[in-house]
Amino acid sequence: MEHHEILITRLFNDYLAGAGTAILDAVGLHAHNAARPWTNWMTMQILVAILIMLFFAVLKSRLSMDRPGKIQMTLEAIYRFILSESEGNVPHHAHKYAAFFGSLFIFILVSNLIGIIPGLESPTMFPYVPVGLAVAAFLYYNIVGVQAQGLFKYLKHLAGPIPMLAPLMVPIEIISNLARPLSLSIRLYANMYAGEQVTLLFLALTYFIMPSMFMGLHVFVAFLQAYVFMLLTMLYVGGAVAHEDH
Amino acid sequence: MNLKTAFLAFALMLIASPVFAADGTNWVAITSGFSMAIASGLCALGQGQAVAGAAEGIGRNPAAAGAIRGVLILGLVLIESLALYALVIIFAKVV
Repeated sequence: MEHHEILITRLFNDYLAGAGTAILDAVGLHAHNAARPWTNWMTMQILVAILIMLFFAVLKSRLSMDRPGKIQMTLEAIYRFILSESEGNVPHHAHKYAAFFGSLFIFILVSNLIGIIPGLESPTMFPYVPVGLAVAAFLYYNIVGVQAQGLFKYLKHLAGPIPMLAPLMVPIEIISNLARPLSLSIRLYANMYAGEQVTLLFLALTYFIMPSMFMGLHVFVAFLQAYVFMLLTMLYVGGAVAHEDH
Repeated sequence: MNLKTAFLAFALMLIASPVFAADGTNWVAITSGFSMAIASGLCALGQGQAVAGAAEGIGRNPAAAGAIRGVLILGLVLIESLALYALVIIFAKVV
């Protein structure tokens, strides 16, 4: 992994190094470089979260029922899209889970796209961030499944439909459940990392047209990967809360 | 996807600085080139079948084009991610 610091990280390390070390000590981790604990992806994640929150805070003050502006209509369309996708995948009470799906989608989308701006990096380009998101999604669909069905009934799903096959099904189901956060994280990380590396590679070989085509592909892939992460989480939640009697 | 990763495999074989072994050939780089090529080729076959199925489905039933397009995009992304797993190993071990 490269250790080149971008401007934001340099500012964080110059002025907030103590806070960084304190946060890492609170969870029992050690920084790679003890004098400069903040890494690019940590500061970029914070920046993305602050940008999203600022954007929605400003938007909230301008909400209007009678004369909605363009941004409000765009975001309402996005909200309708997320809600309709949730209802397609989670059969009952989709609105309870739509907030998590929407947060995932918007956070991953902004994280992916912010790397295009020169001077900033996508936090999803580093393996830690997609793994964190995948672990969050994994915990979410398991907890939601236990909430919806009770612990014993939820674990009974691992045995499969036929009780005789349970000794065969349980290991398979456990492994496939564990493979879900693995594949979610690697898919997101690989797409973002490979997109950036390919653009840099072509930038090293030639000038404008080829690298910009790959950067365009990277933007398209950024949208697609955010959507697919959200879609797969919806599928897992839908599978976790599904009642067999329907 | 196919041309892009073929370019990438070729460029990697030329540019990648070996992690390893001053003596003898750099088998890691050669193997990674072959593995990426095989992964990309099989991924392209799978995606071609997915697109063929989707196009035929839309041709038979144009009213279902929205749903078929959704399934198509999801399928393509999942197949693509399999080829990218090979690419991640290459970037972790070779470059």
